[in-house]
This record gives sequence, C-alpha cells and structure tokens, in this order.
Amino acid sequence: MSDELRQSGIRFLKRLGRHAETIMDAYLQGSVPEHLLDASVRERLLKDRVLYRPEPGADLHLRRAVRALLEEALRDTRNRQVDANTASALATFRMLAEHVKEARHQGRHADADVYLADLRDHLYAFGETLQHAIRVLWGRINNEFGYVGTLNAKIRENELAQSQVSALLDGLELVRFEELAELAGESRELRQLLVTNLQRTLSDCTQELSIAQARLLELLGRFREIRGRTRLLKGWLLHMEQYPDYRAEPQTRASELPRLFNHADPLLAPAALNVHDATQEPELLEILARVRTAQPSERPTQTLADAEALTLSTPEAIEIRPSPIREAVTSYLCAIIDSGQPVSALEYHQRESLPWDTESWLYQVIGDYEGLPQSHKDRLRLDLIGEPHPHYSGNFIIRDLNLWLT
Amino acid sequence: MLSTKGQVIERLLRGAFICRTTDEDGWRFLQVAGNREQVDAYLGQLNRLVVGLGSEREEAVFFCGYCQLGEDERRVVGQQFRDICQSLTPLADWLILVQEALGQDAPPTEGTPMRLGELQTLIEDTPAFREQLGRISRYRLFNSASETVDAQIKLVFKRLTELGYLVRPNPDKQIYLATGKIDYLYEVIRFIDAAEGLELEKRAEGAVQGELM
Repeated sequence: MSDELRQSGIRFLKRLGRHAETIMDAYLQGSVPEHLLDASVRERLLKDRVLYRPEPGADLHLRRAVRALLEEALRDTRNRQVDANTASALATFRMLAEHVKEARHQGRHADADVYLADLRDHLYAFGETLQHAIRVLWGRINNEFGYVGTLNAKIRENELAQSQVSALLDGLELVRFEELAELAGESRELRQLLVTNLQRTLSDCTQELSIAQARLLELLGRFREIRGRTRLLKGWLLHMEQYPDYRAEPQTRASELPRLFNHADPLLAPAALNVHDATQEPELLEILARVRTAQPSERPTQTLADAEALTLSTPEAIEIRPSPIREAVTSYLCAIIDSGQPVSALEYHQRESLPWDTESWLYQVIGDYEGLPQSHKDRLRLDLIGEPHPHYSGNFIIRDLNLWLT
Repeated sequence: MLSTKGQVIERLLRGAFICRTTDEDGWRFLQVAGNREQVDAYLGQLNRLVVGLGSEREEAVFFCGYCQLGEDERRVVGQQFRDICQSLTPLADWLILVQEALGQDAPPTEGTPMRLGELQTLIEDTPAFREQLGRISRYRLFNSASETVDAQIKLVFKRLTELGYLVRPNPDKQIYLATGKIDYLYEVIRFIDAAEGLELEKRAEGAVQGELM
C-alpha cells in the first residue's frame, strides 16, 4: 500500500516537473488560457488537481495548494495568506490525544503509537504554520510593502497585516495550558508534546508577533506622516490660492518663542589671510599658483632659444581703450587729410575748443604721429614750431605744431 | 585643521542647518549629549544655543538659536519668520512639482536624490508640468525671466542650492540631495497650520475627494 502511494507520489511530482513552464506561467499571470495547452496535458493537470476551472468557460487557474507551495519555496513577498485558525488545530489535538489515551487504556499500543505520531505531526505542523505566518509578515514589513505602488495601497496592506497579527494573537489566546495538561493526564509522552513543546513554540511566536505588531504600527505612523506631508503642502497651496493676501503672523511677540523660529542671525564672516605667518607659507604659495593659472594667458607662450635669468614679474597689461583725446587727434589728422590744408595743432585746438590743455594736446599729437606706420608718415609731415633754448644748447622748445600733406 | 567641534560651531555660527545629508560627522557629533553641552557652553557666551528639531530619539536637523530674546533678537527672528513665510508658497509648489513629475508617493525630504536631467525630461514632456515650472520660476524667490524649461529648472536648482535646501555632492554631476532644511519647512507649515487653525490636511483631503467625485 505505502509502496504504491510512494510510486504514485513520485509520478505526480515528475509530472509537475514536466509541466513546470505551464505551472509557472499560471503562477505569474494568475491563469493560463485554455487554448494554449495541449488537450491531453490539460486533462492530465485538471485530473491531478494542479489546475482548475473556477467557472465554466473561464481560463484555468492554479490550485491554492500548488500556489502556496510555490510562494513558500520562492519566498514570494506577495504572499499575504495567513492561516490563523487555531481553534480547529486545537480540536484536532484534543481528538488525537483522546485516541491515544483510549488505545493505551485498552492496551492497543501499536495503535496508540500511530496516533501519537499523528499528533506529533499535527503539532509540528501547527508550529510550522505559525512560524510561516510570522515569516510572511516580516517579509512584508522588511520591504515596507514595496510590492504595491502607492502610499494608500501600502497603508491598506499595513492594515491587513495588522488585522492578521491580531487574529493570530487572538488565536493563540485560545490555547489554555491547564486544559491541555488535564487532557494529557498522567501520560508523560502526551504531556511532553501538548504542554512543554507547545508552550515553547507559543511563547516564541507570541514574542515575535508582538514585535511585528509594534513595527507595523510604527510603519503605519510613518506612512501616514508621509501622506500628511503631501496633504500639508497641497493644503497650503489651496489656502494661498483662496486667500492670496494671507500673511502668517510672526509669533515673535509671544513670551515663549517656538523653538522652530529661534534661528539666530549668521555671525561669522570668513577670516582674512595672514601673509606674515611663515607656517602658512606653503599653502599660500599653492593658492597663489592656482590664482595665476586661473587667469587666462593672453600671450601665446614662446620658447626662447637663449633664455635670460628667470625673473617673475607680472606681465605688463596691454590696454587698448578708446580715449577721447586720441579720438580728437584722429579727427584732427582726418581734418587735415580732408581739407589738404595745413592747420596748426593749436589752431585746431582753439577752433574745436578742445577741453585738454595745450601742452597735453601737443604731446598727444606728436605721440600719435610717431605712432603712425611709416607709409603714412611719408604722406604727412609734422613741422615743429618753436625756438632753441636761449641758454642750454640742444634743447628745443616747441610752441606749436604744423601738420600738412606732402 | 579644526576639530569636529570647531567645524560644528563654525557652521552653526554661519547660520547653517546641520543634518545627516549636509554634514554627517557634525550631525553625529551633536547627537551625543555631552558634545552638545560643550557646543552650547561655547555658544552661550555669544547668547546662542543649539536648537534641534525632530523626534526625541534622534533629532534630524540642528541650527543656531538665541538663548535670551531681547528686542534686537526678536526683530531678527521676526524678519526671518517673514522671509521664510514668503518663500513657503514657491517652495511648496516646487516640492509638489517634483513629487508629481517623478511619480512618487511623497514630496522630497532630507536625503531624497533628484536628477536634474531626469526631472527636466519629465517636465518638458508634460505641458502641465511645464506650466507649473514656469509659474514657480517667476516667483520672486527665483525671479526667472526665461521662457525655456532648461534655463528655468537650472535657475531654480541653483537658487535652492544657494539657499541651503539642496546640496550637490559631486560638482560634475547634476544630482542633488534634499537637505534637512526641507524638513524644517514642513515643520514650519505644520506649526502655522496648528497655530492658526488652518486645517490644511483636511482641506487637501476634501479637495482630492472633490476631484474624485
């Protein structure tokens, strides 16, 4: 008998393996469309009670038992099923214990051993179910219900989990150890199973469940706070939309200032550097080097064939800025070129009533004339009007300039 | 080099907010009661103290407040209150925009990363977000005159970084982190809500239900 059972079990598991892909499709998508399956495969799976048809004409669904097996094996976090039916488990224990006692009383020890093994199985299964439920709960807590998208859904999931924890705890309260002890009576083996073992399992589970409950409450609080933030912001915007002139009153007159608004004025400004501190010299030099490289180099670097001794000096700034006096000189030159008539610099100065004093004006004219390219200088001629110094030979005092086209 | 204590004191006196995101070492330092007493003792000489906000167990953000409030201090605090109230609306508007554009459940809080490029693409693709960003960037807090999403969003992020609401840990990357100052903002709104009895949450919920109807 048991050999036959064994054989058919193995055949069944092998069949499951052979149709693994179909089963996983059904697991992931919730159902398999009927037409995708071979007729014989479909019949086989339906007959084995792996798949079932919830209503006529519907797609095929995976049976709960197979789904639970997969959820457990895959540690799927979507698993929300928690079995909290302690009462029926307790009833089973009670019945089996009575069986054992009766068999022992009548001297049918072989039967009593079978019942006892059965009871042990049920007890272990009960503990296992509880631990499984707790594991499922923790799995969900630990990823903070990450498998649902929105905050509201998370809050609902959390509420479901809390109700499951309460149901489990309520179920555990049904276990009354005095009753079980009485039931076990004198039998040492029953007492061992029903009292000692069960007590250990229950106290572990109760403890874990209360921790889980605390965590769930904390999470719920956090979710609500997060949702509260969004609402706070939206509420504020709505409020400002309705009352655009609303100004919150500063609470600073109140004798007790709320901590929130007690924010002092900034007091500290950056310190200045001390160039006389020799200990800081390396840092300062480094900073200086960075400042220099930060300036864009205006001159292309040239390699000198025969470099002189290197002296560091700031490169002379070449500044070309339009200055009014130079523009005046240019217009003076242009006037001469346009008219073709020689005009003395002072005459022009007077005619245009230029604001600069005559000496600067003359210097500027000479300077600009000298600055002209040679080809232009050939076409223009500059005559210096003046006289040599009466006492010191070699000195010539310029009184005026005459500029004319050659 | 300054010790952590020195750095913390310096930052506090500059008016900075110290949170885990902006200065993790300093934040951890201030979590320890003994350290905080030392800093308080130092700041006490300048009529300052450390103010911490957050839960009892772990305070999320620290800043520098006054020990004694005289007339001058009250004036400063009052001015700051007005400043922050003026920036509440633009900031709330911006926080909602970020939340909605990124499709998140919650508006940014301390430590929330924001990728400028990602946000920009999302906003550019949705006319409603574009309009919202345009409105936000024209608030006086940001004061943008630009018409393009690119310039507007960059300006908004730049201003928020200057004001200490965001930090940019790596200057080569356009990834910003929200600081504890944002959490401070929620506290301010919550406080005004409670003090003035505005019932903002209820109002928002009512509006959502109205929309659903």
